[in-house]
Amino acid sequence: MKITVNHQPIEVDKGMTIWQACNSIGINIPSLCYFKDISANASCGVCVVEVKGVQELLRSCITEVTEGMEIITDSPRVREARKVNVELLLANHPEDCLQCDRNLNCELQQLAFNLGIHEKRFVRTRKEHVNKDETSLSLVRDPEKCILCGRCVAVCEQIQSVKAIDFSGRGLKTKISTFWDTGLGNSICINCGQCALICPTGAITERSAINEVWDELHDPEKVVVVQTAPAVRVGIGEAMGLPYGSLVTGKMVASLRKLGFSKVFDTNFAADLTIVEEANELIERIENKGTLPMITSCSPGWIKFIEHFFPSSLPHLSTCKSPQQMFGAIAKTYYAEQAGIDPRNIVVVSIMPCTAKKFEARRPEMSDAFRYWKEKLHLSENEHFYDVDYVLTTRELARMFKEVGIDFSNLPEEEFDSPLGVSTGAGVIFGATGGVMEAALRTAYEVITGSQLTNVDFVAVRGMKGIKEAEIDLNGTRLKVAVAHTLSNARTLLEQIENGTSPYTFIEVMTCPGGCLGGGGQPIPTDEEIRLKRAESIYLEDKNKPIRKSHENPEIQYLYRHFLQKPLSEKAHHLLHTHYVERGI
Amino acid sequence: MFIMLAIERKTNMNTEKGISDKMIDEIIEKHKGKPGALLSTLEEVQENNPFKFLPKETLVTVAKKLNIPYSQVYSVATFYSFFNLKPQGKHSIIVCRGTACHTKGSKELLDDIYRSFAIDDKDRESEQSFTTPDNLFTVRTVACFGQCAQSPVVEVDGKIHSNVNSRKLAKILEDVKKEDAKKSDLKDKPSN
Repeated sequence: MKITVNHQPIEVDKGMTIWQACNSIGINIPSLCYFKDISANASCGVCVVEVKGVQELLRSCITEVTEGMEIITDSPRVREARKVNVELLLANHPEDCLQCDRNLNCELQQLAFNLGIHEKRFVRTRKEHVNKDETSLSLVRDPEKCILCGRCVAVCEQIQSVKAIDFSGRGLKTKISTFWDTGLGNSICINCGQCALICPTGAITERSAINEVWDELHDPEKVVVVQTAPAVRVGIGEAMGLPYGSLVTGKMVASLRKLGFSKVFDTNFAADLTIVEEANELIERIENKGTLPMITSCSPGWIKFIEHFFPSSLPHLSTCKSPQQMFGAIAKTYYAEQAGIDPRNIVVVSIMPCTAKKFEARRPEMSDAFRYWKEKLHLSENEHFYDVDYVLTTRELARMFKEVGIDFSNLPEEEFDSPLGVSTGAGVIFGATGGVMEAALRTAYEVITGSQLTNVDFVAVRGMKGIKEAEIDLNGTRLKVAVAHTLSNARTLLEQIENGTSPYTFIEVMTCPGGCLGGGGQPIPTDEEIRLKRAESIYLEDKNKPIRKSHENPEIQYLYRHFLQKPLSEKAHHLLHTHYVERGI
Repeated sequence: MFIMLAIERKTNMNTEKGISDKMIDEIIEKHKGKPGALLSTLEEVQENNPFKFLPKETLVTVAKKLNIPYSQVYSVATFYSFFNLKPQGKHSIIVCRGTACHTKGSKELLDDIYRSFAIDDKDRESEQSFTTPDNLFTVRTVACFGQCAQSPVVEVDGKIHSNVNSRKLAKILEDVKKEDAKKSDLKDKPSN
């Protein structure tokens, strides 16, 4: 199809929108509500263009090109219209950029700057001030900063199939709310934070724990240890000014030491531990005809999703805790004993690419270390502590680095501390969709067959396809497995289970697109292209690891020999396994 | 007698739903599968509720039965001013706030009504409609009734009163109350 853009003739595909056609020749039309593949609501009115023969300006995000269309994207009329539309949005937007979490990383702020808006011309039309929604343990919503673009509603519905939120009210009273406006914390919101990632302003942010962590770091009584999830090392560099997907493990470790953490440990260690437990659980279920398919349980958004929407499928979930929670339980029992530290004085801080982890850490059942010590140390209920004390997102950690002026890119690389910082390539790939599956297969294969795996790369479960399938030959036993990322894909696999047509033995589910590397706590922006770069780095780190199978991790082997005895032991059950609750909708 | 009436209504209110699940089921069955099923269902369910509103439980039932996300049902129920999420008063008073009525003093009429029911300014600002604590009257406004020639107009219990002024309005409301009292007397007699 032949069209012209700013008098330049180009050839584009039928069905393309004006926005896409312009984008294909390097013209990025600004927009606040449009987000590739997720939302095109035509609500912000910023992406308008002029089309010859059409009197009014057209919204490029929803208008398809037609043969011979003559598009103008930069005329004075277009520029003025965009400017006025943004000014109108700003009329009802608070002027507190300096206090905002999204300061310097806000699409509205950037656009106001780009369009040359220097004064506030229009008065506020919204009469009431709406309070923040602080009911959630993971996320905070500030309706005052919301520009009603609808991206969050779209991502919640289309990517996650949760639909916790929608527009409510009308006219000036329009806002985004949960059912009956009870707040995210009292709703079916699964805390994934994809809405925070896609929000063009500071209307949705993680519930910050930065101040609490600073306080702990400066408390001389406390031994503050930190664990970093696999996906943080491929994301944090971006927030520190490095290219997308930069692999910065060593610099991240060095920076964490500079913040004052006593020990810099790795969630990857706990990921290896998860694999050993989970692979053995799978084998046990296969041998004892337990509930199959077994589904992974590392992703807390996914856990809350199944608890709300598919409670009858809960027996399919692996009972293994997530690596974050295994780490907390081990740090406050095994490590406390090894290092001779009173568990009450250990503070476990997690750095996660995830907002749902904040919720997970506060699940009432996640205080197994306290229960472990309760009798031994005669602890009273008042001394109750969680296995994981604080969870920071990748974004929050970057803010802490910046606050103390860490020269991230020039910092020499450092290594994680022993013993809870020793990990394998299998641990790191937890950060990408398919990674838990691949890591589990590397271990399950060797445990079941008793023979050495020559090629550890299960490439069939890698990549960004929504649902991936593979069939693995374990000495004659053929194992059908599936991997899903995003909950709308997970829903498909669950529906198969519920109507009895699921052909699989083992299923991996990750809540966020691309797995944890695309998590709701990762740097903004996060999009498809960026996720691919982060995934490349994850698999690079795996490839470069001398040990690539979880059960070969020497510190894991030592942990079993001297503390847990064997996989699925009674002690392992107490500390590393959990149970789930039916939540209903 | 007004007090007795209020008490009677309060007791009814304790049932919360005001409409049986069976009836909701029947209404849903009638509309299920048709285009706009949600709107027609909500409309009919509200109509059959003695307090002319959609309680939370009702929205949950409708969402479940029609397999529509709760948040979306709430979105629809809050978008249309026709739907009420709170119990409505026995009598409805609608003051037209269109341009013609405004120029003929509808603002003063509205103020009169609020004053006579001792409704706080603050409550007025935050609510689309207001129901008196005794559940007798619900006051709301509309943009235009299309009766501009007879402005200002006020609708009371479905009847449009034209060329209303403060004195006339007071009389209308007085009549409504008197009518209620008469009905209540009749009701009381057999039990005596």
